[in-house]
Amino acid sequence: MIGLQILASGILLGGIYALISVGLNLIFGVIKVVNMAHGDFLMLGMYAAYFLFTGLAISPYVSAIIIFPVFMVIGYVVFRLVVKPLLGKAETETNTILATSGLQFVLQNLVLMLFTADYRAIQLEGGATSFNIGGVMLSANRTWAFLICLILAVALYYILMHTRLGAQVRAVSQDRDASVLMGINVDRIYALTFCVGVAMVGLAGAIILPVFSAYPTVGTFFSTSSFVVVVLGGLGSFTGALLGGLIIGIVETAAGVFASTELAQVFSLLVFLIVLFVRPQGLLGKGARV
Amino acid sequence: MKKLFNTKTQDGKMFIALGAITVILLVCCVAPIGIYNKHIIIQTMFYAYMATAWNLMCGYTGRLSLGHSAYIAVAAYTSLILFRSFDLTPWIGMLLGGVVAMALMLVIAFPCFRFGLKGPYFTLSSIAVMEITRYLLTSMRELTGGSLGMSLPYQKDNLLMFQFDDKEPYLIIILIFWLAAIFLLWKMERTRYYLEAIREDDDAAAALGISVNKNLIKAALLSAFLVALGGTFYVQYYRYVDPATICGSTMALNLALITIIGGSGTILGPTIGAVLVIPVTEILRSNLGDKLSGLHLFIYGILLIVMIIYMPKGIISIPGIIKRKRMAKLANPAGGEHNG
Repeated sequence: MIGLQILASGILLGGIYALISVGLNLIFGVIKVVNMAHGDFLMLGMYAAYFLFTGLAISPYVSAIIIFPVFMVIGYVVFRLVVKPLLGKAETETNTILATSGLQFVLQNLVLMLFTADYRAIQLEGGATSFNIGGVMLSANRTWAFLICLILAVALYYILMHTRLGAQVRAVSQDRDASVLMGINVDRIYALTFCVGVAMVGLAGAIILPVFSAYPTVGTFFSTSSFVVVVLGGLGSFTGALLGGLIIGIVETAAGVFASTELAQVFSLLVFLIVLFVRPQGLLGKGARV
Repeated sequence: MKKLFNTKTQDGKMFIALGAITVILLVCCVAPIGIYNKHIIIQTMFYAYMATAWNLMCGYTGRLSLGHSAYIAVAAYTSLILFRSFDLTPWIGMLLGGVVAMALMLVIAFPCFRFGLKGPYFTLSSIAVMEITRYLLTSMRELTGGSLGMSLPYQKDNLLMFQFDDKEPYLIIILIFWLAAIFLLWKMERTRYYLEAIREDDDAAAALGISVNKNLIKAALLSAFLVALGGTFYVQYYRYVDPATICGSTMALNLALITIIGGSGTILGPTIGAVLVIPVTEILRSNLGDKLSGLHLFIYGILLIVMIIYMPKGIISIPGIIKRKRMAKLANPAGGEHNG
């Protein structure tokens, strides 16, 4: 029974991880840039949802819909100011890591100065309840987050695989230069990808607010988790990130039950290092070693 | 000797720069400038030293480590725990801490270089090592005091135990550390060129007969050992250490920021960066820290972004840029803009 419970809780947690890391994966897969401030956009999304909830009594699940377009705009501004100037120059990889690390300082400390370091959590009506399915307890908030992750994953997958825009995005991610020759506006695809990546994680911030409390450095923890999930599944591989999320969710839940939560983190980071050494393209990634 | 004082040669310039800084700091030591200003000077030299050590690996080889806090932390905790439990002098604890840091670095650097991890993959693995170290330091409560941290038991002025009541001895010690690090880097001329060649193109470097992995691991171990010594200095100076501060990403990013502002992959770049950044942010922090905590880190972030975009080679590259502009003008007085 405990095995089933761990599996169920792990899958729900994994869904949340997958939801958070989808944006990071999209940006890396297409632009080949690691966004170190990824978790901090999550933090901004959490704060946005928090103030919409406490100020205007808008449920986070509704505010997610408002946050998405707003974060697309934020993503565009960041892309133009921070990422775009570095693309196509020398040492783009390390320079974008450093610039987005700087962005991480900027965002965290901006929030710290504006809203202090207090923990902010919300209580949804009926949020603390659980569904009992054959003796396995599923937390309501986490279940909603998981379902929303599934819906978004299916939607994103559909857009990538079955629309003209999705085909362009995939083309750019496979071969930038050939895409230019085929008449694809690569700059536009880059900007769009970055916007959608940031918007996805902002939305994730709203969705997870009923489960986790918001504070200025909450993003650091989720950034690391996202890297673990994405590298495990394969940087740039879409289904890989879902698989990576589920594996890490189950591993952390099991380690949390049998050891402690701190050791659960150590364990998932060790898995991460081993995957990096042995199979840096991830479990499902196809790309060559970088 | 004649060569050293000749301002035309690289060696001579370096010798004069080091001499000038040493004299200025020694004058500061005896001058009545107040404890607070001396504290700022010590901090500046501490970060100059640490960033020099970071630069030795990351600036010269292009392998960007944002997890150097791990090596600082293990050494700081090693020497502190040995001192608390066995009364071992931190002078020896420091060396043992350096050995532990090198061992940790070897565990991570060997597979990284062996499997050819580069770019974001190397950076992510360095961050993972730092996170693992921090979680372990936090969870081993009996040994490390957990997230509350651990303080250094006070002993009166004691050179043997690396504890002083005044600031001056710390200033002289960190000055010696810094001079030693710079001197080491300066004398490693051949290795420096190897590392630069590896940074630009490791396949080409290997083809020229440079042992890529051996040189990378040499730089990594040396860098870990040097920051480890700084870790012990940190404990002895601040007399307190906790995992979030010493093993967090802020510490690691600070070293990167200072190096990049000054000029990465150069001997004196990190020192220039520290001299420019640390006093300003320290004054900001102590004056505005209670009202706007985080302001200095906010400014750090903006500085880092601006430098990376507009001057990725750092302040040290400015004379070169000016010289090139002047040359361009001389070559084409009608208009420099056509030179691209």
